[in-house]
Amino acid sequence: MQSKVSNNRLAAILSDGFLGLYFIFALFPLLWMVLVSLKSGEELFTTQFVFTPTLENYQAILFGDPRAAAGVVARQEFPRFFMNSLIVSSGAVVLSLLVGVPAAYALARYRFRGKEDLAFTFLSFRFAPELVVIIPLSVLYRQLGLYDTYWGIIWVYQLVTLPLLIWVLRSYFEDVSPDIEQAAMIDGYPWWRIFWSILLPLVRPGLAAAALLAFVFAWNNFIFALVLGGSNVQTVTVSALGYISSAQAFFNRMAAASVLASIPQIVLALSIQRYLIRGLSFGAVKG
Amino acid sequence: MKTRTIYCMLVMLTIAALVIAACGAPATPAPAAQPAPAEQQQQAAAPSGEFNWRAYEGESLKLLLNQHPYQQALVGELNKFTELTGINVTYDVFPEQNYFDKVTIDLQAGPASTYDVFMTGAYMIWQYAPAGWMEPLEGYINDPSKTHPDYDFEDILPDLRNSERWNLLPGAENLGQGSQYAIPWGWEANAYMYRKDIFDANGLKPPASLDELVEVSKKLKEINPNMAGIVVRGSLNWATIHPGFMTMYSSYGCRDYNEKMQPQMNSDCAVEVTSKWIDMVRSAGPEAWTTYTWYQAGSDFGAGKAAALFDADILGYFQNQPGTAAPEVLGNVAWAPGPRGPNGELRTNIWIWSLAMNAGSKKKDAAWLFMQWATGKDFLTTGAIEYNMVNPVRQSIWDNPDFQAKMAEQTDYLSTFQTISANDMKIQFTPQPLFFETTTEWAQALQDIYAGQDAKERLDKLVASLTEQLKDAGIYQE
Repeated sequence: MQSKVSNNRLAAILSDGFLGLYFIFALFPLLWMVLVSLKSGEELFTTQFVFTPTLENYQAILFGDPRAAAGVVARQEFPRFFMNSLIVSSGAVVLSLLVGVPAAYALARYRFRGKEDLAFTFLSFRFAPELVVIIPLSVLYRQLGLYDTYWGIIWVYQLVTLPLLIWVLRSYFEDVSPDIEQAAMIDGYPWWRIFWSILLPLVRPGLAAAALLAFVFAWNNFIFALVLGGSNVQTVTVSALGYISSAQAFFNRMAAASVLASIPQIVLALSIQRYLIRGLSFGAVKG
Repeated sequence: MKTRTIYCMLVMLTIAALVIAACGAPATPAPAAQPAPAEQQQQAAAPSGEFNWRAYEGESLKLLLNQHPYQQALVGELNKFTELTGINVTYDVFPEQNYFDKVTIDLQAGPASTYDVFMTGAYMIWQYAPAGWMEPLEGYINDPSKTHPDYDFEDILPDLRNSERWNLLPGAENLGQGSQYAIPWGWEANAYMYRKDIFDANGLKPPASLDELVEVSKKLKEINPNMAGIVVRGSLNWATIHPGFMTMYSSYGCRDYNEKMQPQMNSDCAVEVTSKWIDMVRSAGPEAWTTYTWYQAGSDFGAGKAAALFDADILGYFQNQPGTAAPEVLGNVAWAPGPRGPNGELRTNIWIWSLAMNAGSKKKDAAWLFMQWATGKDFLTTGAIEYNMVNPVRQSIWDNPDFQAKMAEQTDYLSTFQTISANDMKIQFTPQPLFFETTTEWAQALQDIYAGQDAKERLDKLVASLTEQLKDAGIYQE
């Protein structure tokens, strides 16, 4: 009896220890990024943990480099690139929500010809390599005048965000029993109120999760923003490489930019965390 | 059944997309297609007679630029061009890592492409010109109604100018023939840069031969085991070959291809240089050599982690700046030409950043006005003295006392240039459309030898593989 308890305790300590180790292992690159972002150019290539932290990298990327005027180092317009990322990523998610939620509902509820084929086609956008379509797309974009515009990037990001949203939400809609809708109908709700007031709140966890994931994927996209955008809509992912300039590789500024660029994702994830609980509706209908 | 139809459609779509992509791909070696009608198209619009800076007032041009000190100089002075000509110029700047992807994709769009003028390297001419993407420029340069009398094209160093002329035929003798596809803008000569303080303290001199290079590098490593004795590029990329390695290889008398376009990387000369080079890197080079690009090589030198650097002369200059250089490095960088070959030859390989015109541009004459302003004396002199447009492409700037005064702080930088340019200084590679593929494979061979494979065997294998590719492309002659 005694030994069993201590065995259990040992196992608990071991598994906690292992988790702790893994935690450090997984988070170390992030920690390193934060550390590098606080290093000055002179100390950048030392591998010690002891150094004089400085905020000059953040200052340089947010307010410009005092030396940039003399043409010594690249002038960075990080705030503008950050806004570009924010506009195209949230634009893409909003558009995907407008189009994708009804689509997901239809795919979950209605039976129509070619339903699975259609769903599969949406999915195929997700696994088709972007490089296969990028050259034809770039020619089309130039001819249509969509090159280097917010609309163009938001549109092409649908390839990234829409399939994800449709497929995640479809399974959430399938989980909601049709009986709930029928009950609401009997109570005299018009169809749009049923959708808006009954269904959407029920799939809110799915909506939150899918929108968050879609946002992260859009935010991280590189190739579409590179090929189909110019300086007007350049995103942080593309501009981040600019900290490696011919004159000097500013890994510290790149790290500072990465730290700042990850903030929206973290804020978003924390703020919608409470919606990320699945199964609220599971007890709504007596089985 | 339905699903199968969809699958079939998907497969067909993918194939179609691939075919479209392949048709536009740059690798097609046929050097036939030529963008001849481009010029006629605009002649009507060109005002006849006298040259006039304001002939295209109100036009707007779009530039594609690589993020670079040259680009910063241009952006800083661009309003002067608009004041002079009334032409409005906008530009997109992309980081170098993906810059050429961007250029290639845009040029492929042909008449639908976005940019009128773009920054390019000289080697890219071998890929872009045969595809018909680059406008030949001699027609503009030689036309007094299009080019200002003070432009003085001849003032641009002839080695640079000629390195950007090509008749689209593979073979070393064809460089410097045919059309002018780009105008030199700024350039890099590959030289030996070293830490004067360390060399002086240990009574060392910059190496004068390949054997000395290996020896000095090893000695530096012995003196300071925490520091690399030499740093050179080593990543799996064509750019690993072109700086120090190609300069040493050429000075030693080795060639990349013979006059029949047969690869020569396994000649006795090549095997000797390669073996010694790899021996040097292995015993005195940086630890993660196979990941080393321009940035790692430069950063190591600037951070005081390497005692010598065999790469572009301007890389040492950029590293020898306050805010970049470690305190012990700042002001202690000195320049020397690369080591010489067995008979005293010095054949320095160069890289030229240039401006080229998109053959698909619809505003070619206005674009030429911009190009001649940006490669003209006024702008380039300001760029060299007030910004960091080094090395300058014009002789008049090298002779300019202000420029000389600015560069005098850099130990032996000017005299190194004198020596290099007095010797054989040019693009030492043989022009051919498969340059990037074949040279990247060459870098792969260096990495394999570094990893322990026999040099002769591996270079034989490289030559066999390149021979096959060149035969397939119709470049190799029996």
